[in-house]
Amino acid sequence: MLLRLPTSLHYPITVTSLLKQPGDTVEKDEALFWYAYETTVTEGDGLGNTAEVKRRYPTRFESTVDGEVVKWQIQKGDVIDEPVNVVEIDEPCAHEIQFGGLCAECGKDMTESTYNTEITDSMRAPISMAHDNVTLTVSEREATRVEEDAKRRLLASRRLTLVVDLDQTIIHATVDPTVGEWREDKQNPNHEAVKDVRQFQLIDDGPGMRGCWYYIKLRPGLEEFLQNVAEIYELHIYTMGTRAYAQHIVDIIDPTRKLFGDRILSRDESGSLTVKDLQRLFPVDTKMVVIIDDRGDIWRWSPNLIKVSPYDFFVGIGDINSSFLPKKEDIGVNKPQIEAKAPEKTKEHHVNGKTQEGAEVSALEQLVTMGGDSPRLLQEQADAQEETILHQVEDRPLLQKQKELEAEDTAGTSEASSSVEDTQEPTKHRHHLLEDHDQELFQLQNRLEQVHLQFYDEYDKRRTLALGGRVAALRGEKVHSRDKDVDLKLVPDVKDIMPQIKRRILGGVVLVFSGVLPLGIDFQNADISLWAKSFGVTISSRVNARTTHLVAGRNRTAKVREATRYPNIKIVTTQWLVDALVQWRHVDEEPYLLPLHPDDRGDPLTPSELELEASMLSSTDEDMTGSQWTQEDDAEDIFKSSGLDETSPIGYDADEQAAVHDELKDFLGSDDESESDTESLLDEPSTGGKKRKRNGETESGTDEEESGDEDGDDHDKQGSRLSQRIKRSYERNTKLREITSAPASGSDQVSLGLPKTSVVEGVSDTETTGTSGPKADYPDPDDDDDELEREMLAAFEGGGYDSQAETDTAAENG
Amino acid sequence: MFFLKEETKVISMHPSYFGPNMREYLIGRLNEEEEGRCTGDHFVICVMDMVDIGEGRVMPGIGMAEYTIRYRAIIWKPFRGETVDAIVTSVKPTGIFTLAGPLSVFIARKNIPSDIKWEPNTVPPQYTDHADQVIEKGTSLRLKILGVKPDVAAINAIGTIKEDYLGPL
Repeated sequence: MLLRLPTSLHYPITVTSLLKQPGDTVEKDEALFWYAYETTVTEGDGLGNTAEVKRRYPTRFESTVDGEVVKWQIQKGDVIDEPVNVVEIDEPCAHEIQFGGLCAECGKDMTESTYNTEITDSMRAPISMAHDNVTLTVSEREATRVEEDAKRRLLASRRLTLVVDLDQTIIHATVDPTVGEWREDKQNPNHEAVKDVRQFQLIDDGPGMRGCWYYIKLRPGLEEFLQNVAEIYELHIYTMGTRAYAQHIVDIIDPTRKLFGDRILSRDESGSLTVKDLQRLFPVDTKMVVIIDDRGDIWRWSPNLIKVSPYDFFVGIGDINSSFLPKKEDIGVNKPQIEAKAPEKTKEHHVNGKTQEGAEVSALEQLVTMGGDSPRLLQEQADAQEETILHQVEDRPLLQKQKELEAEDTAGTSEASSSVEDTQEPTKHRHHLLEDHDQELFQLQNRLEQVHLQFYDEYDKRRTLALGGRVAALRGEKVHSRDKDVDLKLVPDVKDIMPQIKRRILGGVVLVFSGVLPLGIDFQNADISLWAKSFGVTISSRVNARTTHLVAGRNRTAKVREATRYPNIKIVTTQWLVDALVQWRHVDEEPYLLPLHPDDRGDPLTPSELELEASMLSSTDEDMTGSQWTQEDDAEDIFKSSGLDETSPIGYDADEQAAVHDELKDFLGSDDESESDTESLLDEPSTGGKKRKRNGETESGTDEEESGDEDGDDHDKQGSRLSQRIKRSYERNTKLREITSAPASGSDQVSLGLPKTSVVEGVSDTETTGTSGPKADYPDPDDDDDELEREMLAAFEGGGYDSQAETDTAAENG
Repeated sequence: MFFLKEETKVISMHPSYFGPNMREYLIGRLNEEEEGRCTGDHFVICVMDMVDIGEGRVMPGIGMAEYTIRYRAIIWKPFRGETVDAIVTSVKPTGIFTLAGPLSVFIARKNIPSDIKWEPNTVPPQYTDHADQVIEKGTSLRLKILGVKPDVAAINAIGTIKEDYLGPL
């Protein structure tokens, strides 16, 4: 070890003599060399006078370690101005492995410190490496050595490492005793689903939870999955459950311990209760590690991660060990998962939506929010977990839900109306609450095989290259047998390979979210965005010509309207994105196309403009999209086929139409109100999120919505696009006239003063551009967005609403 | 090393236990609280007998009776250099974890004879010299303690099997 001077010395110092020669042994705190330093001190002369005097003091420098002096790096007479390396000392033990504060090799106490201690010896081995023990720590060098050994072994057997999460990834656990009852009761509709649920009892799981029974549902195909995957991966478990819990689960899924051995890491040893860190298991490098987990955020979206869709068998239970984790962002990620499991079409979920949403928010997650690692918080979180477990045991959420379901079921059958029957059908089908259709593991196995194959292909390629090169270079020389075996430098990195595979899947996709993430969330860093980005998706905030997909959580948003104008944009439900991410392939958009409300359909760009747009596009899949949307009729067909017939206005009779008009009037009225709301909101940002959300949509959408809605009806009646447009421009004018005349009423003055500013301020806003985009877009769609904005700004400021609309119409009409 | 040590302990007794079985209750309490306890310095293995129970004193204000009990107990204090028998709890590439009774002892790879090698490919993984010596989970080992570190309520120790007559039994 190289001894270095501490910063605390009184520099500059002059070395006056070396006390040890190379080969001499030194003990801790034994003097190594003499040095002298100068300093000013205050001295008295004995007569009461003091003077500042410069003095030179000799001092010894003492060794901080035991060992044998190997080499001096300073000489007698050197003047040293700053901390430098002084001497190399060969230690008999470098204390690289420590156990509970002891050096595991020499048995010395690592925690003792003296006046001379710079860094305690325990800092020499800071890395905790063993799965099931935190008292054992090793130095970086030792960790590297152990890891390299492991890597050699893996390469020799052509395997990789797989870190497996338990809860909601390969199993689903609950403590709801209802499961046990259903399991016994053969008459119960859920019996079929729960009959293979395993159970165990945790005795010492903290006060209040004594002897709690845990019910474990294995993900379908788990046994086969583990068997197959174990051949190409070395399996590790990393769970946020307790050690006892993990052991019990392993007893169930791997009774012989052939798959996992004792490579189990639980939250007792994790070191952090809020994040999982690959460094805990693989401190040096993670080139050969793949993770499967249902949560991306707790891994900080590590590139080694394959995110799987959460296994949610016991509906609404969630992850019973998630109390310690940050709250899951549910938006668009979790919800569609549950829906996906039920074999129904999206539309029917409008009916079942209510019960399902209730099911989503697990009691756990309501109770617990994100937190750090402070002891008080941990206690709170532990309490919270305990409470939820008790809550689950007592309240039996599953039983409640089944009852609810049955109630709904009977209600459904009693109603005779045909339309109701149609929508109730899925409910009947879901007569039993628990479904067991999960296919994730089969797909997951394919993905893991894919990664494994890619990794070893790459490795083999590099190795042949390297071998060939070396043979040429060392012709005639013997190649070391070890080099022939494995070469760690050639090992490719899973962190490169996986993203490579993933980026191929959705590369080139430019997404815009609409109604998926709540306002106020950073759409670039939301869970689903990060997940999507790891697949090469680009996420943009606004719809433009480069956009390829609009992922809409709700129908009838401003962005949906905007997107309809671009033939290349596929408007899909969130499910499409989730399925693509889960299945690792560019799934066909057709089944996921959002059923559009006819009123929302914007005018498609004219063929010539289309060509211009198309020429701008670099996306490869424009061809297949284009044909779908260029013709309105085609689009119409799609609406019909997607089951919109009741709402589609084709079959309207006069009464209905009148009703629609009334509704529309109300709607327009309410919109005006909301517009003024918006403005007052600008001054008080603390107003509720709900309102705000609406503003986001309406503020921008108002104009278009009004005119658009009218259009829709007219369109169906008259069918002529020309008359439609004329009508629209007329509508626009009237609306504006209304607004200008409004100040006369006086009461609205404040709110009317503000809209203008808001529009001006909001120009940079997506929504504003989104709505007014079409107008300015028509003359020259080639313009980039900035120019567009500027134009709009000018138009707005110049009060050119009317004229703008007129030019618009003119442009459109010829 | 084992010792027979005389110690004292203060036990306070709730008034509801005042009665003919007081003595049995005290013995029960003493055994329950003391046996198996780790003081950080030694383990209390077994309470032998009570030398003196002393007179109970009712504490003013709360009514509990306080007994100062002198008892003899067998304790075990592990020393550096002591040879003990232990059972392997898990084997890792860095070494072997063992339990010598209540004491957890770690044997680093360096303190394992060089002919006994880490063999990760077996199930379960083991250290073996590919002859008659196999160390895996559950194996009994004779080891020598190299260092002992007392903690608040536990003792950690380092051991070696790299000497004559040490190793699997």
